[in-house]
Amino acid sequence: MIDVQNLSKTYGTFAAVDRLSFKAEAGEVVGLLGPNGAGKTTTMRMLTGFMPPSAGSARIAGYDILNDSLEVRRRVGYLPERVPVYPDMTVQGYIQFWANLRGVRDARRQTERVLESVHLLERRKTLIRNLSKGMRQRLGLAQALVHDPPVVILDEPTIGIDPQQVIEVRQSVRALGEKHTVLFSTHILSEAEQVCDRVIIINHGRILAQGTPATLRQQLQPGDHLYVQISGASSAAGQRLLAEIEGVQQVQPQGIGFHVRAAVRANLRGDIAQRVVQAGYQLEELRPVAMTLEDIFLDLLGREEGA
Amino acid sequence: MNGTWVVFRREVGQYFASPIAYLIAAALLLVTGLYFNADLTFSVGTKPAEPALIPLLLSFAMVFCAPLLTMRLLAEERREGTLELLLTAPVSDGAIVLGKFLSAWFYYTILLALTFIYQIILVSITQPDMGHTMAAYIGIWLYGGATLAVGILFSAITENQIVAAFLSIALLFILWMGELIGQIITNLELAEVVRQLTLIGHFTSSFAVGLIRAEDIAYYAGITALMLFIAIRVVESNRWR
Ligand SMILES: Nc1ncnc2c1ncn2[C@@H]1O[C@H](COP(=O)(O)OP(=O)(O)OP(=O)(O)O)[C@@H](O)[C@H]1O
Ligand SMILES: [Mg+2]
Repeated sequence: MIDVQNLSKTYGTFAAVDRLSFKAEAGEVVGLLGPNGAGKTTTMRMLTGFMPPSAGSARIAGYDILNDSLEVRRRVGYLPERVPVYPDMTVQGYIQFWANLRGVRDARRQTERVLESVHLLERRKTLIRNLSKGMRQRLGLAQALVHDPPVVILDEPTIGIDPQQVIEVRQSVRALGEKHTVLFSTHILSEAEQVCDRVIIINHGRILAQGTPATLRQQLQPGDHLYVQISGASSAAGQRLLAEIEGVQQVQPQGIGFHVRAAVRANLRGDIAQRVVQAGYQLEELRPVAMTLEDIFLDLLGREEGA
Repeated sequence: MNGTWVVFRREVGQYFASPIAYLIAAALLLVTGLYFNADLTFSVGTKPAEPALIPLLLSFAMVFCAPLLTMRLLAEERREGTLELLLTAPVSDGAIVLGKFLSAWFYYTILLALTFIYQIILVSITQPDMGHTMAAYIGIWLYGGATLAVGILFSAITENQIVAAFLSIALLFILWMGELIGQIITNLELAEVVRQLTLIGHFTSSFAVGLIRAEDIAYYAGITALMLFIAIRVVESNRWR
């Protein structure tokens, strides 16, 4: 549905987006994850036909974003980062305007349908200037959906609203995946993990990693992470013992046990158990520690800055 | 075409909800009313009422009114970020600019129609030269379109409405004053060229005296088209920033 090939955008000599390539299949919810200035908004602006790329290309629903811009724009719903509204219009007037502009046939009915779905139907006569921020965000979402586009692009839709509404917006994005292909951006990892089928991590306009949250965690987790708790040994003795085991790279006290980082190898846990028992101590607990996407993300960014 | 129509409708709605638009309408009617009254009082028994009085007044008033009526049109969209949504809607940049221009012209046409009340009063008390008046109205209608197009252009250039209004007042004022400049140039040919370039040069000595000439119509249509063309290019350039 979305097929991006070497998409680039340079401002002068500065590359805001640098040879980005990725795909999104129909019905997939894809998250663009990156810190401030990573190039998320710039990427979305190119995909929605707002600005042309400096190099590379992309196809949306089979149409080229440069050569068939109007066809692309017909098939995309876009919620920009700063939800743009006309404060002097009513909720209904605003949605109907966008419906008409995008050539929706039954604009009135579609407007009511979409307002219903974002729980703004009772507010349809309200002037937009009198809406709360969360309502405005939902209004922006309604605007992006009123023409029932196959592709929906949402730029940080959960920014600046209260936690209750954040949860609601996440749920609606998740639900959108049933009928639409969704590309949405965020700098919050847990959000990407909750909402997306697939996450693309970008920084400085380049892709650092992509995959499902689960595979990302697996692929990027450098080595095995284990939690080990030993009784009968002093903390220092326990640490020394674990550090001597083949393949162990790092041992850090964590609570009443240790966090062990080791290279991936066969029978690591067996060896640990054996050594602990041989030394005359008892093994109280031995379990794998799953790194959160958060850790992976920070780790990746850290590595990039270091390189 | 659909895009132009949808944008036009929204903007017309905005005019009828905008305090500035009502203020301008009120001010125009007040000033033209005062002058009309003065002309009537003054003319009684001495000379016939001036048939092109209102259009002549508007030819100056539009230097200020056109920028005030148009400054919002594109500058606000840019400041509020709604331009990003407009430019990602499946309509051409030209359709957007044209729809906005037509809405301003439509509002101006309504204002112009309101001043017809003075002509109705005239008809009821004397026998005015209606052909002369109609020519002047057609002229000021085209003239107004050209000034509104200048206003749109400056509204496209900046996201600050005040700056947009200021710049278009400056340009319109120069175009308006051009005749005075023409008068002080001693080289006759050059003076005529300058005059031919000004807004007023195609109005006071033709439409305002009851003449409808193709060259004057072409001049206003040309200015309007040129200003809109540049405005569309400027809107397009937003995509590159
Ligand atoms: N018009 C512009 N001219 C010059 N540089 C720009 C322009 N727009 C964006 N940039 C730069 O491009 C980079 C990417 O910006 P972008 O807005 O895409 O980031 P982002 O991932 O959306 O960040 P955020 O999370 O803050 O929204 C930034 O370093 C930004 O400063
Ligand atoms: Mg952004």
